[in-house]
Amino acid sequence: MSSVDLIGVTKVFGHVPALEDVSLQIASGEMLALLGPSGCGKTTLLRLVAGLELPTAGRIRIGGDDVTAVPTRERPIGMVFQSYALFPNLTVRQNIAFPLEVRRRPAAEVKARVDELLDLVRLASQADRYPNQISGGQAQRCALARALAPSPAVLLLDEPLSALDALVRTRLRDEIRRIQQVVKTTAIYVTHDQSEAMAIADRVAVMSHGRIEQVSRPPELYESPATRFSAMFVGGRNALELPVVDGRVALDGVFTVPSPAGASERVVAFFRPEDVEIAPNGVGRPAVVEVKIFLGAVTRLHLLTEVAGRQARFYADLPSRQAMAYEPGAKVTVRIDPANVRIFSLDDDGAPAPGAGGAHA
Amino acid sequence: MAATTVSSVGQTREAARPGRAEQGAVRAGQAVLFTALFVYFTLPMLTVFLYSIATRWTANVLPDGYTLDWWIATFADRAVIGAFGTTLLLATITAVLDIVVVVPAAYWSRVRNPRIRPIIELSAAIPFALPYIVIGFGLLQFSGIVAPPLQGTFPLLVIGHAAIAFPFLYWAVDGAMAAAGIERLSEAAEACGASPIQILRRIVLPNIRPGVVTGALLAFATSFGEFALVQIVARGVYTVPIWSAEAIRSYTGEPGNFNRLAVVTMVNFIVLFVLSAAVVYFNRGQTVRLLPGARSIERGERR
Repeated sequence: MSSVDLIGVTKVFGHVPALEDVSLQIASGEMLALLGPSGCGKTTLLRLVAGLELPTAGRIRIGGDDVTAVPTRERPIGMVFQSYALFPNLTVRQNIAFPLEVRRRPAAEVKARVDELLDLVRLASQADRYPNQISGGQAQRCALARALAPSPAVLLLDEPLSALDALVRTRLRDEIRRIQQVVKTTAIYVTHDQSEAMAIADRVAVMSHGRIEQVSRPPELYESPATRFSAMFVGGRNALELPVVDGRVALDGVFTVPSPAGASERVVAFFRPEDVEIAPNGVGRPAVVEVKIFLGAVTRLHLLTEVAGRQARFYADLPSRQAMAYEPGAKVTVRIDPANVRIFSLDDDGAPAPGAGGAHA
Repeated sequence: MAATTVSSVGQTREAARPGRAEQGAVRAGQAVLFTALFVYFTLPMLTVFLYSIATRWTANVLPDGYTLDWWIATFADRAVIGAFGTTLLLATITAVLDIVVVVPAAYWSRVRNPRIRPIIELSAAIPFALPYIVIGFGLLQFSGIVAPPLQGTFPLLVIGHAAIAFPFLYWAVDGAMAAAGIERLSEAAEACGASPIQILRRIVLPNIRPGVVTGALLAFATSFGEFALVQIVARGVYTVPIWSAEAIRSYTGEPGNFNRLAVVTMVNFIVLFVLSAAVVYFNRGQTVRLLPGARSIERGERR
């Protein structure tokens, strides 16, 4: 167990900046998710902690020790790769034993530790198989056991579930979380999947263009995204571009909220589909159901309304039993609690808008 | 995953397969082509073999008579045996030296410093671009300046052969490394705490072995049959190609001269053929892995 500190880390590839002045503290025993679209620098950040890349500027500490110049093999880390990267010439057991053997641990100790890990990741029955003889989920559990074998201070996971199919993915996600909590290791988890990040992590760092946009606990991130980018990236969200009139932003009859100070003339209003309140005939604005999509527990309705001669489209999620009343073409009324609407300035790159919550968390 | 990929490929092929009559025609065509190829490859060796056991071979399709005298005489000739020993030793040392130099270099160029790749690839093209005679004289000149005592010696010849044979090994090894995804495995091993030597010995080598074996065979064969460099760089070294050249040059018209050459040629062929067969057997089922990207296709991954 060790904390990880990144202090002003910058990484430039050739002339392309991949990370710009990133500072981040990860507490001992914490699981932090690095969340962002591809190319946002999350994997680079992970590789810097692993020592597979060297920072252009800045320092990296693990457990208080400066490891910036320490080669990968001497860092107290374990790493899990998206592509599993199991050694094809070694069996599951030999793969897990490898980090212990290169450290020249006594054979008896290696065997005991490997048996313990095989049980932990539930692979004891596959121990003598080769990587090409096991499933993707099993391969990734083997990779996890291999990473944990030397009891690393930090566990680094680089999109470990991306190569797996959906069912295995959620199961293994919960399994990784369980194991991380059993062994109590600090962990950094890179993913582009926001639901995965929120399900697995103690805190989520949202990244964009080589910067950290926001670091929050998952419920806070979901409830109150700090930037337009976070709002857009996290959770299924409606985004409507609206004008500011008399210091207010309104979708007439649906919601009216005061515009944040310093916002530009046009803003983007974000609201989540589950916050859209629908009634067959009640208070609010009339709208038409265009499309109905059954998603299991919830059903998504695509809604169309007309505001001042312009069409506005957004969608609403409601419990499937409730949605039975609405078929495509149905006329409904719509309203949204203004407390659930977040306004961000309209600028191109999704950088934080002034007055729209804290800039950097 | 591999199974699904393969079977789906099979299905598409089957769907595109023509009707029964056409199928028969295709089969017959394949048989004819295969037979022609087989004859093309074996006929020269067959004639050489017949010549090596012929008493005389005059105007007929087949030799006038058969004898094992030439084989016995050849193996009784100490010069021939010596030449074989020297050639085997030379080719073996060349192949081993190339492995020792090329595998770490290829690994380094892939994993640590891709910038040296163009240099390696350029030097790997030189033996194809320049005639061996030119390389031989160059080596002679260069050794004359740098290390005159080496001139005419076996070690200098080994260096020369290693230089002209290494591209074959390099391409095979590099392809095997691409197929095995050595960069990934190497990073994983590093994160496991392995040192570069541990990575090379326990992870890299076992996963590129088919490439190393194939490449080493090609390097071996290159050295085994090489004539120009031996002639120019190391006049004192007596190899099988040198013996063969002398046998042709010193032809006196008496019987047996060319028959013994045929014997030596046959032995050459058998040595290389047995080695090739051993390599194919050793690499069975893994040849496809030598192709870049084959690994990911095998696993049904996207690249």
